Amino acid sequence: MNINRELLTLSYEQLQWLSPIAILLVGVLFVICVASVFNRGSKQITQWTSILSLFVTTLSSYSLLDTATPHLLFNGMLVLDKFSYFFFIVFNLSGAATILMSDRYLDLDEMNHIEFPILILFSVLGMMLLVSSADLISMFISLEIMSLSVYSLVAFRRNDRLSNESGLKYFILGGAASAIFLYGSALIYGATGSVRISSMLTAATVAQPSVLFALGAVLVVVGFLFKIAAVPFHMWMPDVYEGAPAPVTGFMTAALKAAMFATFIRVLIQLGFGKPQWNAFQTSIYQILWWSALVTMLVGNLAALPQNNLKRIFAYSSIAHTGYLLIGLITALKNQAVLGSTILYLVSYVITTIGAFGILSLLAKKGDTGLNVHDLSGLSQRRPWLAAALALFLFSMAGIPPTAGFIAKYSVFYAAVENGEIGLVIFAVLCSAISVYYYLRVIVFMYMRNPAEQATWRRPILTAVVAIAVVALLTIALGFSPSSLIEATGSLSLAQI
Amino acid sequence: MDWLAEHILSGLVFLPFVWGIIGLLLPNMKDSSHRVWAFVGSLGIFLLSLYLYFNYDPAGAEFQFVEKTPWITAWGVQYNLGLDGISLWLVILTTFLTPLIILGSFTAVEQRQREFYFLMLALESGMLGAFVSLDAFLFYVFWEVMLIPMYLLIGVWGGKNRIYASMKFFLYTVVGSLLMLVAIFYLSYQHKLQFNQYSTALLDLYKLQLAGDGWFSVQAILFLAFSFAFAIKVPLFPLHTWLPDAHVEAPTAGSVVLAGVLLKLGGYGFIRFAFPLFPSAVIQYQMVFLTLSAIAIVYGAWVAMVQPDIKKLVAYSSVSHMGYVVLGLFSLNMIGVTGSVYQMLNHGISTGALFLLVGMIYERRHTREISDFGGIAKLMPLFAIVFMIITLSSVALPGTNGFIGEFLILLGAWLTHPVIAIVAATGVVFGAVYMLWMFRRVMFGPVTHKENESLKDLTSREILVLVPFIFMVFFMGVYPNLFFGKMEPSVQRLITKVMKPKNLNTQTAAVKVEQQNEY
Repeated sequence: MNINRELLTLSYEQLQWLSPIAILLVGVLFVICVASVFNRGSKQITQWTSILSLFVTTLSSYSLLDTATPHLLFNGMLVLDKFSYFFFIVFNLSGAATILMSDRYLDLDEMNHIEFPILILFSVLGMMLLVSSADLISMFISLEIMSLSVYSLVAFRRNDRLSNESGLKYFILGGAASAIFLYGSALIYGATGSVRISSMLTAATVAQPSVLFALGAVLVVVGFLFKIAAVPFHMWMPDVYEGAPAPVTGFMTAALKAAMFATFIRVLIQLGFGKPQWNAFQTSIYQILWWSALVTMLVGNLAALPQNNLKRIFAYSSIAHTGYLLIGLITALKNQAVLGSTILYLVSYVITTIGAFGILSLLAKKGDTGLNVHDLSGLSQRRPWLAAALALFLFSMAGIPPTAGFIAKYSVFYAAVENGEIGLVIFAVLCSAISVYYYLRVIVFMYMRNPAEQATWRRPILTAVVAIAVVALLTIALGFSPSSLIEATGSLSLAQI
Repeated sequence: MDWLAEHILSGLVFLPFVWGIIGLLLPNMKDSSHRVWAFVGSLGIFLLSLYLYFNYDPAGAEFQFVEKTPWITAWGVQYNLGLDGISLWLVILTTFLTPLIILGSFTAVEQRQREFYFLMLALESGMLGAFVSLDAFLFYVFWEVMLIPMYLLIGVWGGKNRIYASMKFFLYTVVGSLLMLVAIFYLSYQHKLQFNQYSTALLDLYKLQLAGDGWFSVQAILFLAFSFAFAIKVPLFPLHTWLPDAHVEAPTAGSVVLAGVLLKLGGYGFIRFAFPLFPSAVIQYQMVFLTLSAIAIVYGAWVAMVQPDIKKLVAYSSVSHMGYVVLGLFSLNMIGVTGSVYQMLNHGISTGALFLLVGMIYERRHTREISDFGGIAKLMPLFAIVFMIITLSSVALPGTNGFIGEFLILLGAWLTHPVIAIVAATGVVFGAVYMLWMFRRVMFGPVTHKENESLKDLTSREILVLVPFIFMVFFMGVYPNLFFGKMEPSVQRLITKVMKPKNLNTQTAAVKVEQQNEY
């Protein structure tokens, strides 16, 4: 009886915990209504109501940030803790930034349809549910809410073959990954008799976990590795990134990756990690991640070297960053106290990529062209501020101080050295020395080559410029005074439920 | 006023950058007036740095003008600046060279002057910051930040092959410094283990106890990680290959900063970090570095000898001269180390001036091939005189600054290892050969090329740039005690940190020079 009542009625307190998700849900429904009522010329209204609901959600998540103990809702299907609320803010702000920066890009191809912000809102909603899922079923459902919206966003340039191709590719391969994840969940259910992730803890931490459970857990891990595009499950990513509209690529690189990583961390902690004593099963999961990190860094950085398309460069660089993030993850497996460094890395990576793709959205020409490195020739003379901002983001990705990227790399690598992963860190810094080459190559084109032809330039709307300026300032500010973010991320921890 | 005096180093470090930003943002300023803006600013900064000279007390504390505020408390990073007798001179060298370089580029840089002068000032900020940082993290930040303006200076305003050269420069340095970063992580972690709190402050790290026996002890590996970064920067044979490319392609201003100041950061890094942090490893690897530096001296001289391009010749002479610096440092005695620090200043003055002179003739003829010249002395007598003085300083003629440095270094090396000193001393001879031979081919003989006949002698602006260099060549050559007086206590402290007291050779360089003068 108790269970039923909880499913049907929420106490005021519970509703308060749930408020960010509820607000965004109401917001997205409201936006749909608004969009259909103001059928013509509704573009601006849709955009601004979407941004408004994202900001209100951010505020409500912010107000809940001091949550001390995790709250379980819906009979343990959702868990709302500081960790989830922190990531709510990240998702909502990157969604808002994406909408702000996409306006000019969508206008160019006359595809500034009302669906764009709505799909962004839905995927943000999916991410929020995903990161607070405490149950394999709700995790799967929210994963699909997020992914389906993003599949359609990838194929948003509906008259373009490349965009459609990448949408389809992403859909099929993403579907396969979801299937693997679901199969793993089914095996875990078979082994433990429950889909709650809390049941995983007991099954994983016994001296000899059952083969069924171990297989299920490995499949779930593989599903996640696919979604974060870790080698050898990265093949889909460059094509999808290249074909997707530039702002969507930015959104995927930033928010989607953050969501998948955050959930991945939650699942891994629930598998009994976070402290140094492991059984054989945990050791083998650790080894899978360790090798994956190593190969991901190497392949991502090497494959980025010969690329000429900016989106592809960023795609491979995103794979490389997955590798660095995996180092952070591995470190957090050994010692949960350093979890904050991985989150710090995620946040600064989100900021940097949102900014970089915002600039790409401004630079793109009609039909998603104009995004090869040689199109940037002499950009510093044509658009000095834009070039300087892109250079800043590139230096941040390369980890050159004083930028957010340097602080992030410092914190992750430092934590790894502290927890006995020196070999991996030395490998990582050598890989990031390789990465400097392809980031600098873009700067070479912008600063050291003469402009090719006088390109036509359509002025971006003011809000996009402001958004990029804010992101650029954040990148520098984090480089100079990261203390507050270090504290904020350091205070996040995941309790085993 | 007190507040200003307490934050003099911060002021000095950030003023160039702020001045540059203001210049960059000033609207409606003609492109050409930026050079005046930058020159005035850098001159003011030079005058400000003289305050340090007059107020630095050699008998006082190890580090003076110290500023210390917590920066990133979670990692124990402090914003910690301070100056000792060694960095004092390197700071003054930087602030001395920058206005002269800017004045020297007035006509050389025609395109995008606004950005050029901003980058020069930003570079000055980075270099000054690296010289006064007393925190490993802060040092690393400045060390890397400095790369960006230098990279752009070579890549945007450089010669034909500039992109290749700038990329090579950046990648070389980054590989070295990233390994240093891992070593910094490890040191900070060790501090946490031994003192139960994170810290990257240098004075805290000096207290660490690290296992130091053998070729692959903890100390040795950390020492190698740091040394790798510094050896690339110096550059020490066999890691020098980026230098000739960078020098040849860089604009004159870039070459002067590179030779004048940037290379010194390598030597300075040894002094500030590698030596006091890893004393046992230094002694363990002393022979390796002595050998490499002797090879660098001789090899650099040989390769310089056959260069057809004047700038490349000067670049390889840098490899040779910086070899002396490393040789002196690793002799690990008072005389050698003092000589090294002095040689760093000398090299900044003489090689800086050489690059400026090469730049001046390049501006007139747009070539640097030695074979394109000949008989220049007849056409440009003033230029020839200045070139002669600087050449003689570079080959270490007694009475010029170069002599003091090289003499002390060879003496110091002799005390440690006579064979190495003998090998290195041949470098002095080869040095005289390539410099004087180049001078003869460029300056004397008949005028073989028609184009050269219309060459004009130095302008008054160029004379203004070169006079301070000539003055310093002789001043440092005849009155080195002014410099030694401030730096010796610091060098003494350094040696005490590395060597056990009984091995100390306490005879000071000043005494040696006095003896020498009596002969």
